[in-house]
Amino acid sequence: MKKTPFFSRFGKSEASVAWLFMTPGLILLALFVFWPIIYSVPLALTNYSVIGKTEFVGFDNFVKALQDKSFITSLVNSLLYVIVVPFIQIFSILMAILVNSNVKGIKIFRTAYYIPVVTSMVAVALIWGWLLNQNGVINYVLSSVGLMQEKITWLSNKDTALWTLMFITMWKGLGYYMMIYLAGLQSIPKDLVEAAMIDGANRAQTIRKITIPLLKPYVFFCTLISLMAAIRVFDEVFILTMGGPGDATLTSSLYIYQQGFQQFNFGYSSALGLIVSVMIAALSIVIFRFNRKGGVNPY
Amino acid sequence: MSFKGKRLISLLLTSMLMVGLLAACGSGSSGNKETASNGNSDGAKAGEQVTVEFWTISLQPTFNDYFDKLIADYEAQNPNVKIDWKDYPYDAVLNKLMTNIAGGDAPDVVNLNTELANQMGTKDALVDFNQELTADQKAAYFPGIYSSTEMNGKGFALPWYTGLPVLFMNKDLVEKAGLDPENPPKTKQELNEWGRQIKEKTGAYGYIFTMEARTLLEENLPFLTEDYKKAAFNTPEVEEYVNENLQLLKDGVIPKDIINYDKQVQYFASEQVAMSLSSSPFINKIKTAAPDVYEKMLAVPSPVGKAGIRYSNTMNIVVPSATSHKKEAVDFAVFVTNAANQLEFSKIANTLPSTVESAKDPFFSENDGTLEGVAKTVSAVSLDKAEDFYIGVESAKDVNQTVTKALQEIYLNGADVKKTLTTAESDVNKILGN
Repeated sequence: MKKTPFFSRFGKSEASVAWLFMTPGLILLALFVFWPIIYSVPLALTNYSVIGKTEFVGFDNFVKALQDKSFITSLVNSLLYVIVVPFIQIFSILMAILVNSNVKGIKIFRTAYYIPVVTSMVAVALIWGWLLNQNGVINYVLSSVGLMQEKITWLSNKDTALWTLMFITMWKGLGYYMMIYLAGLQSIPKDLVEAAMIDGANRAQTIRKITIPLLKPYVFFCTLISLMAAIRVFDEVFILTMGGPGDATLTSSLYIYQQGFQQFNFGYSSALGLIVSVMIAALSIVIFRFNRKGGVNPY
Repeated sequence: MSFKGKRLISLLLTSMLMVGLLAACGSGSSGNKETASNGNSDGAKAGEQVTVEFWTISLQPTFNDYFDKLIADYEAQNPNVKIDWKDYPYDAVLNKLMTNIAGGDAPDVVNLNTELANQMGTKDALVDFNQELTADQKAAYFPGIYSSTEMNGKGFALPWYTGLPVLFMNKDLVEKAGLDPENPPKTKQELNEWGRQIKEKTGAYGYIFTMEARTLLEENLPFLTEDYKKAAFNTPEVEEYVNENLQLLKDGVIPKDIINYDKQVQYFASEQVAMSLSSSPFINKIKTAAPDVYEKMLAVPSPVGKAGIRYSNTMNIVVPSATSHKKEAVDFAVFVTNAANQLEFSKIANTLPSTVESAKDPFFSENDGTLEGVAKTVSAVSLDKAEDFYIGVESAKDVNQTVTKALQEIYLNGADVKKTLTTAESDVNKILGN
């Protein structure tokens, strides 16, 4: 095929239609996503604080970050948050398999499981805040069935606060991933399973040998998305604990926000943002490496 | 994608990066030039029509009538000035202010709390009122409150409306514990004793305790050295005080929880706690959340620690140095916070004034016997001694946060007292530049 120059292809093929549809989105992305990301690189090399004098400080912000105890703690907490990822994937696959059945009224369950996803995080956090109160329903139930001697302050105790937040994140996110897996399950051609059954495979074997491998691209996508979301977690921490008690639930996003929008150290917070972005990119590459094959059309 | 296409995109990305680099390095100088030129201007030339942009925090629509009249009065006295009043929620005001300053569109007169005013003032972003005000104008404000936003000889803000803590009690719980609400606790020590008795007799928590750095200052404990150069809180006295609080936590006199304002309301409204230190707006919160608890509420003067201080919570008026109309802005700021206007505002908003003359009005010494009225009169008593909590250093917020986090580590996470105080001491010293 004869190569055509980049721009002259416009108007000559289907690509022109695609570009037409993509352009508004791309402009918005460029303005509000790509440009700020690019701009944060030079910003990270300054002491920019909106007010006051801006000076070029070289790599000082990065050096400071590596010596900043709170930032290191926030990174560790963000990485701990990644523990949510396998749990959320396993539970949402199980839920998807359950709601994929043809039981009467199954749509009600699908909707119910999806409700937390569309509920505002502020509302979710407030409700969980009430439930997890020292004299809240959860402590009441646990102590009345004898599972607990002393009432726990779930969100004010350093041993439980982060895990409690992780649980809330998982509870809220399950429905979203369940829907993606449900779409994945429904895209698996029935004839493959039927053919395997005719060849003598049982239910467990078809799940292990057919369903799971064909779901792989979905697992890959969901793992990647949930990993990024886990490292960038902000809303629930901001609303429920503000990083406390002490630094027990301080996550990197919250710390970056605090440095930028509460302390006005925009240069420093840009540097922190870049460090976290590099970390997320590195983890994403690892996931890409491990998830290359699988699916109906392996890629 | 063709090679040419890839090249074009790489070129575009590189040039964007270069523009970014140049813009970031250049933003300081351009911003400063603008500030300098604005700072030098003494406002509009005589007779020239100017618009002064005035920002408040969460006062619309409740107080529209008051402000419409205030603005109309000012405009009548100053026909060349037009006031453009805008109101923002507390959470949004700072970001909005920063964005506007960065965009070269700074407002002229802004309502900020003491912490934010000091934070901006120490970065040279606010007009120095010590330069702009006459001695008489300055003397109109309570000196303690005015000095809460003063540092290195500069005055960053004019105090506006304020609030002082009051001790709210649940009459039922207090009486059930065999205590006399007519004879309330006057010191922190007595408050602890009351708390213990309430816990023993009723099972409810005694009172709510905020685990903040300011608690050390309320007890007259050392915090920073006199020259503000080093931390001074790592002493046996502080250790002893912290251990006393640990015992109170252990005995269930105070809840082992991080208490923000909403939680304070929750605890009091659900009768889990018998006493709570707060200011007048707390009454309305309880009235909405639990009308039956509101019926049992009593307001008494707040007990004081060994320092005898009751910290006020003041809202201030500042003038950003990036204003284009400094003279008019300062004049309007003085007008908004003058004694007559503060008195009128206090009457409708149920707040306290920060001006000496307005506080003399019988409105603050007489009450109709309602909870709101009593809360007002008991809080107004210590206005002349009031000051806002503020550590007089540029990095006050960092110092405050470090100490508060250390105290939380001890109270909630069971960290070793001595070890945690030593770590916090070295962290604070680092923040202070040692």
